[in-house]
Amino acid sequence: MSGIGAALLNSLDIGLLLFIIAVGLNIVFGVLNIINFAHGALYMLGAYLAFTLINLVGMPFWAALLLAPIGVAILAVIIDRVLLRFIYSRDVADSLLLTFAILLIINESVRVVWGSGIHVVQPPQLLSGSVELLGSSVSTYSLFVIVIGLLLLAGLWYLFNRTRVGRIMRAAALDRDMAEALCINTRMVVTGVFAFGAWLAAVGGVVAAPMRALDPGMGDKIIIESFIVVVIGGLGSFPGALLGAIVLGLIHGFGGRYLPEVNLLLPFLGMALVLLFKPNGIMGKGATA
Amino acid sequence: MKKTSMKKLLVAMTAAATLTTAGTSYAEDPIRIGGIYILSGSAATYGEFAQKGIDLAVNEINASGGILGRQVEMVYEDSQGKASVAIQAARKLVYSEGADALVGLDSSGVAQGMVPTMPELQKPLIITHAATPDVTGKLCNPFTYRISVNVAQNMKAAALVAAETDATNWTTIGPDYAFGHQSWEFFGNYLKDIKPDVNLMSETNFPRFGAEDFTPFIDRVMNSDAEGVLISVWGGDLVNFIRQANTRGFFDKDMEVMFTVGAATEVLSALGEEMPEGVHLSTRYWYDAYDNEVNDRFVKAYIDAYGTAPSYNAEGAYAAIYAYKQAMEAAGTTDGPAVAKALSGMSMDAPNGKVTFRAGDHQAMVSPNWGVSGPMHPEHGIRTLTNLQIFDGEKVARTIEETGCKL
Amino acid sequence: MKTKILMGLLAMMIAGLIAVPWIASYFYIFILTEILILGLFAASFNLIFGYTGMLSFGHAAFFGIGSYATALVLIHLEWPFLACLLVSMGASALLALVIGFLSVRLNEVYFAMLTLAFGMMVFAIAYQWRSVTNGSDGLAGFTLGSFGLGLDLTLGNPSVYYHVVLAIIAIAAVVLYLICRSSFGLILKAIRQNPERVSFAGLNVRTYRLVAFVIAGSFAGLAGGLMAPFLRVASPELLHWSMSAEPVLMAILGGTGYFLGPFVGSAVFVLLETWITSFTESWMLVLGIILAMMVIFFRKGLLGTALDWWMEVKK
Repeated sequence: MSGIGAALLNSLDIGLLLFIIAVGLNIVFGVLNIINFAHGALYMLGAYLAFTLINLVGMPFWAALLLAPIGVAILAVIIDRVLLRFIYSRDVADSLLLTFAILLIINESVRVVWGSGIHVVQPPQLLSGSVELLGSSVSTYSLFVIVIGLLLLAGLWYLFNRTRVGRIMRAAALDRDMAEALCINTRMVVTGVFAFGAWLAAVGGVVAAPMRALDPGMGDKIIIESFIVVVIGGLGSFPGALLGAIVLGLIHGFGGRYLPEVNLLLPFLGMALVLLFKPNGIMGKGATA
Repeated sequence: MKKTSMKKLLVAMTAAATLTTAGTSYAEDPIRIGGIYILSGSAATYGEFAQKGIDLAVNEINASGGILGRQVEMVYEDSQGKASVAIQAARKLVYSEGADALVGLDSSGVAQGMVPTMPELQKPLIITHAATPDVTGKLCNPFTYRISVNVAQNMKAAALVAAETDATNWTTIGPDYAFGHQSWEFFGNYLKDIKPDVNLMSETNFPRFGAEDFTPFIDRVMNSDAEGVLISVWGGDLVNFIRQANTRGFFDKDMEVMFTVGAATEVLSALGEEMPEGVHLSTRYWYDAYDNEVNDRFVKAYIDAYGTAPSYNAEGAYAAIYAYKQAMEAAGTTDGPAVAKALSGMSMDAPNGKVTFRAGDHQAMVSPNWGVSGPMHPEHGIRTLTNLQIFDGEKVARTIEETGCKL
Repeated sequence: MKTKILMGLLAMMIAGLIAVPWIASYFYIFILTEILILGLFAASFNLIFGYTGMLSFGHAAFFGIGSYATALVLIHLEWPFLACLLVSMGASALLALVIGFLSVRLNEVYFAMLTLAFGMMVFAIAYQWRSVTNGSDGLAGFTLGSFGLGLDLTLGNPSVYYHVVLAIIAIAAVVLYLICRSSFGLILKAIRQNPERVSFAGLNVRTYRLVAFVIAGSFAGLAGGLMAPFLRVASPELLHWSMSAEPVLMAILGGTGYFLGPFVGSAVFVLLETWITSFTESWMLVLGIILAMMVIFFRKGLLGTALDWWMEVKK
């Protein structure tokens, strides 16, 4: 029985981490109709900035959690102002291509600046150690990840449904011309949402850093996972992102334990099945031709 | 013709000849060696290590006069871990950059793809990292050599270490590709030969390569009745594995844990104290295991230049350059086939002792280093290795028939 | 008059390509073989992207299947090269039929995601099905035997192989071009511009998309079949999404609006990569910058921008 319990906890843990990382991608697509291929690179930057702040500058983890995402968000504003503004009015394919170019640039820059080596970030003292739960031992930090994920979900729901900012974003998503006609500065909304998406990616990076070894390829590994999450849950829906993340978490947690011969295939199979039968994802926007 | 004019002509001609040859030797082209390593992506650290080792060797050699009186120049190409890229890179190095010899290959997959093309290129290749046994086995050819330890050698040594423990139930956790499966296969066969009453458990664990989460496999092994575990996970994956294993109390269980590539410096320095004490670690070359002049000089120069202890990848690449120096000077030329021939059966003094390229399969008769992780080193920021074992190179090597090499 | 000049340039270029082994350094034979093969790969992709308006992120599945098919036939059956290529085209056409049938229902982003998913599924299968595909190490050690059709060619000679590739790709390009110029091709272009209008005109958009997808897939398979003996290896990375990104990049670099655009893109990409990697290890950084500039300022690609300017200027 502890096998199932452990698999479940493991899936939740992986799933919520994936949610934190992938939800930004979903929001950016939902509001801006942009697929940000560089999302994984921004996540990686968040992790590396946290590494610098914690290991080299000596700040506590919490300070890094606060500062590193802000740094990445500022970079995102620059990227938007300098590069992305050219392609907002163009179709989705162009955003994929341009953000792919940005991905290449950020990836290599990280390797040049931080080197090729493997780096480790320690979890904060408060959260190291483990507890007994459902018949297996779980690290305290994993529980922290789950809590942060749920807090984030609540916060985002509140933001989108109960605040003016959220309503503006939803308006801009539904009908940009109309929003502009109503004197909403859509330029700022666009930059803001993109930066927000980057901020979320970086938060994911900082949160993931104590759990994953840092190396220059970590951005590439996560971007496909993020796409899978977002597709399964539904492009443009962030509760969907949570669902997608948990489904992928379950695939990894259970598939890894019980079906190792096909564990590379399963996530993509899941992605394909969702796209075939419920292309909107479990909760997303329209998709058929 | 009159005698004096003949003489004058002869003198003039000799003078001209001497002058021209003197002129050429000053303007000699450098010897170029091409290096194909992983220089980007998750495994870029290995290429970087190789470059560090090579640059050290090249600087030393150039400072003392070069090879055959010519300076040595390195040209690097990124294999990106892909055989398709590596093959084109090799062609570029040989045909466009004029490389006289090649070193390289971090990935076994790349090696498998590239080694059969070496006879076309007619240049020697010394593999300094890729461990697939096939390149000095069924894929062997006159141009391919390997200076580093292969999986079969490492697993034979592992089996010797394992046989000395009390563990009878053995399982494995390895990455789900050729390296993980081959490691277990070789280990199992060798161990059974030495200790027929061991039980190789049917429940094995092969997380997908690059998996970031190993807890399912950690739990499985902890809940089984394994008494010994052979773990061939490497690099960043190994760092993740050990950290996750620590939180789950994996190392508190009464098991013999053997990490086949655990004493790699990039892993040890990333983990620091998180690398547990009392586990069996192996590496292809441990900087502190060898007490000879070449190693002392190499380790000191490396630490002076780069501030960290040299990894096995750096040492293998360093030694390979010196191997070429010796081979080229023995052959008296940089001609590909001649150098390749000179390497066969050649012995050299490398940091890990006397290294001989066996004529039958071109594999260096070297031993991996197995030890037990001990206290932290006072200066180098990584754990020390105690109970160091260096095996006789001939003892851990396969016989030529076993390799399947037909040279 | 303009078209005559362009035709003349094209003829000169083809003559130049044929003469390469005699006029350029040995290494360029390998470079150009690669450019031609990837050019066909990119051109096949452009049939669905530039002409039909579908962005596929899994096109490498067909390329890779072509490579594996040729490799497997050479290893197990030792058939002549032409037969292997036909098998490659057949296998990739079949795979394209299956994947296409399931995918062309979807639009834009969803189509891209689904083709990405299918492409990676094929990758995963090749990676883990060790008994057939030799897993992550891929298939190596196959040699080319005869060419077929009773022609006696030493395919092992890079020059000879280059000319064979040149000939096959030229024929394939002509066929593909004729397809693009036919009424079928015109309908594809119409579908890209306005699918609803086309369906209102009584045509089944999905069927046309599927046929385009299968044709593109089979030509990609042909390219893959030519690639395997050239690289001497068929490995899973040929199926990975990063391989699928290459024809996308090449089509953009060269220009999706003209038939030869992807070939130009392939040449630019391969030549840039070869030259720049000689100077720096940060080739990806340079590529990213170039790609960004192309997408923002030269969206029509090099050939596209050049030809459009030429047409404008010479009015």
